Amino acid sequence: MSTLASERGGLLRRLVGPLVDPAVFDFWLGLLNRSWTWDRPLARVLERRAESADAVTLVLKPNRHWRGFRAGQHLNIGAEIDGRRVTRSYSLSDQPRADGRIAITVKRVEGGKLSNYLCDQVRVGELLSIDAAYGDLHWPARGEVAGLFLAAGSGITPLMSLTRAWAAAGAPGSLTLIYWARSAEQLCYAQELRALAEAQPRFRLHLMLTQDAQAPVARIHADQLQALLGPSEDWQGLQVLACGPGGFVDTARQMLAPRVQRFQAEAFSPAAPLALDEVRPVTVELRRSGRSLTLSSGESLLSALEAQGLRPPSGCRMGICHSCVCTKHEGQVQNLQTGEREAEPGSQLRLCVNRACGDLSLDL
Amino acid sequence: MNKSLTRQLSHEELEKFGAEIEALRAKTVADLGARDARYIRNIYKLVRWSELAGRALLMIGAFLPTPWLIGFWILGTLSLALSKIVDNMELGHNVIHGQYDWMGDPHFKGKEFEWDIVATSENWRKTHNFRHHTYTNIHGLDDDIGYGVLRLFPEQRWTPAALLQPLYAVIFALMFQWGVAIQDLRLGQLFGPRRKAARAELRRAGVPVLKKVGRQLFKDYLLFPLLAGPGFLVVFTGNLLANGLRNLWTYTIIFCGHFTTEVETFPKGVLKNETRAHWYWRQIRGSSNLSGGFVLNTLSGNLSHQIEHHLFPDVPANRYVEMAPVVREICKRYGVHYNTGSLPAQFGQVIWRILRHALPSRPRATRLAGARG
Repeated sequence: MSTLASERGGLLRRLVGPLVDPAVFDFWLGLLNRSWTWDRPLARVLERRAESADAVTLVLKPNRHWRGFRAGQHLNIGAEIDGRRVTRSYSLSDQPRADGRIAITVKRVEGGKLSNYLCDQVRVGELLSIDAAYGDLHWPARGEVAGLFLAAGSGITPLMSLTRAWAAAGAPGSLTLIYWARSAEQLCYAQELRALAEAQPRFRLHLMLTQDAQAPVARIHADQLQALLGPSEDWQGLQVLACGPGGFVDTARQMLAPRVQRFQAEAFSPAAPLALDEVRPVTVELRRSGRSLTLSSGESLLSALEAQGLRPPSGCRMGICHSCVCTKHEGQVQNLQTGEREAEPGSQLRLCVNRACGDLSLDL
Repeated sequence: MNKSLTRQLSHEELEKFGAEIEALRAKTVADLGARDARYIRNIYKLVRWSELAGRALLMIGAFLPTPWLIGFWILGTLSLALSKIVDNMELGHNVIHGQYDWMGDPHFKGKEFEWDIVATSENWRKTHNFRHHTYTNIHGLDDDIGYGVLRLFPEQRWTPAALLQPLYAVIFALMFQWGVAIQDLRLGQLFGPRRKAARAELRRAGVPVLKKVGRQLFKDYLLFPLLAGPGFLVVFTGNLLANGLRNLWTYTIIFCGHFTTEVETFPKGVLKNETRAHWYWRQIRGSSNLSGGFVLNTLSGNLSHQIEHHLFPDVPANRYVEMAPVVREICKRYGVHYNTGSLPAQFGQVIWRILRHALPSRPRATRLAGARG
């Protein structure tokens, strides 16, 4: 039915579309309801609640331009802070719901612009910008699978979404969740997980508190896993998902990947510190033309692209005319005139006065 | 006429001067935030509401008895003209420069913004943002010197056709948006030696222009007049006059920016080894300001601060008013002439140029205006 509705909308859109300026449409309709936009996906904050000592869960209602998600995916969320849109990626923590509501759990990051804003300042009713959901964590929707989820810190969020979806699908097969956190105060969803473990015999839960005052446990290691899961010879039937910081995921991969049926992982790591003055090859993805190039980080992106035989639009070559501006989807760049670095996803980038600090994705 | 009121600077002085301008830019850019975002959104609101008021007054007026009709027609036309002026000047021109790109708001992206004028923003980015702002007042590179129609400087070649330019100038003013729309199509070349290539290029580049022209004409001269039914002519004439008023106003402001008596123009040679500091220096010498207050600043899209706009074309225009005293003070210390005056005084000088250079004239001095210190 939703397909039919969107096709009808499509016909109407095709007829009036050429006459509509999206900004004008959004302005007038926005006087009635600010989430009624021509084509921009937005989400309204419906609820904000504390999830742990340093994390909040936001329940959001996307408008009709958002296309939905699969459990375990992430999305880019943006809020305007001091006049600037700041966008970061968060995992969706709830399962897909019939009423279209979604939830994210935001852990406070020291100095994190958006996480602090979402933890402290965002108001119920406020609109946030959202992009299409993405992410490849895949979990079989049905089938008798012996599953093992390994979560560390905020790595719990996509796995929580998958756990909820698994329980809602009738808990096929079995699922074990091992969840490392520093302390009980930092555990997210503890009550809900414990309740599920009590009610559902096919769900086993191990909460691992590494800095607990009474009984601290170690970070992930082989003996610990054997104690929880049984001898490693019996692991070959397991399908494993691991989420957490890079080091955690690497360790889990080393121990489990050779011994289990399937191993998938997602690492949340702050970008590795860059050796800024170092000139080295970087990979630049040109998303619109579906190409990927290796460029030197030592010169302006415009010159580097031209050296590869490309001819992106350009003009003054001194940063003033904005002819060479393109959207930067991801990655860090440095302004060659001011030395400033910038890593905001979706920002407008002047190719002629910026160089790549690492791998980039551009809308070219 | 080409005698510079700006003293020559040594290379070191020029670089120090440039560094001071650069520092002002850095300080302003670092301070951008919620205030600037609020400003441009308020400007957007002004454009939308004045357009609504203008179109509503014209439409309602069409059904009222004559004396009321005239009052509504005048108010509606003025309101619509105000909307178009602010849309073109303070909103469109500034947003298309990328001044508000830092906000990350998709509705204020310089690369995608479209405005209420027949010229496409795409062509504007090329003729204005790139050519005019990079090669400001350089003969042979900046097409804005007389727009290929008028002879305003003695360095431009005189032909007998120039004798009629006081007449063309008025026609050009009334049709200014059309001049801007076709500036990048280089129609003059259709009759030149490269006419074959020019025709092929026109077929390619002309399509988006015709689309935009069609859209604008449809909106102002068909759709809204038809919506008024029997009041078709009331709305039609109101829209025509609103567009015309906008043309006259934008022409006046833009001509005051680079064609007053004391502005300098340059030969292509200045580009040789031109540094950023030298570029700043050239921008100031080629531009002139208008003194006035908030209303003039807003209606002129802050081109009343033409000098600041040419130094910092991608810094939000609402900041020019606070940058101007600093620029002026820096100029004073370095002996750079800061050209400013009231709108009537500056426009009077423009009119004088149009009249004077209709007749043959010769540059007074031929020295290069570059810093060779």
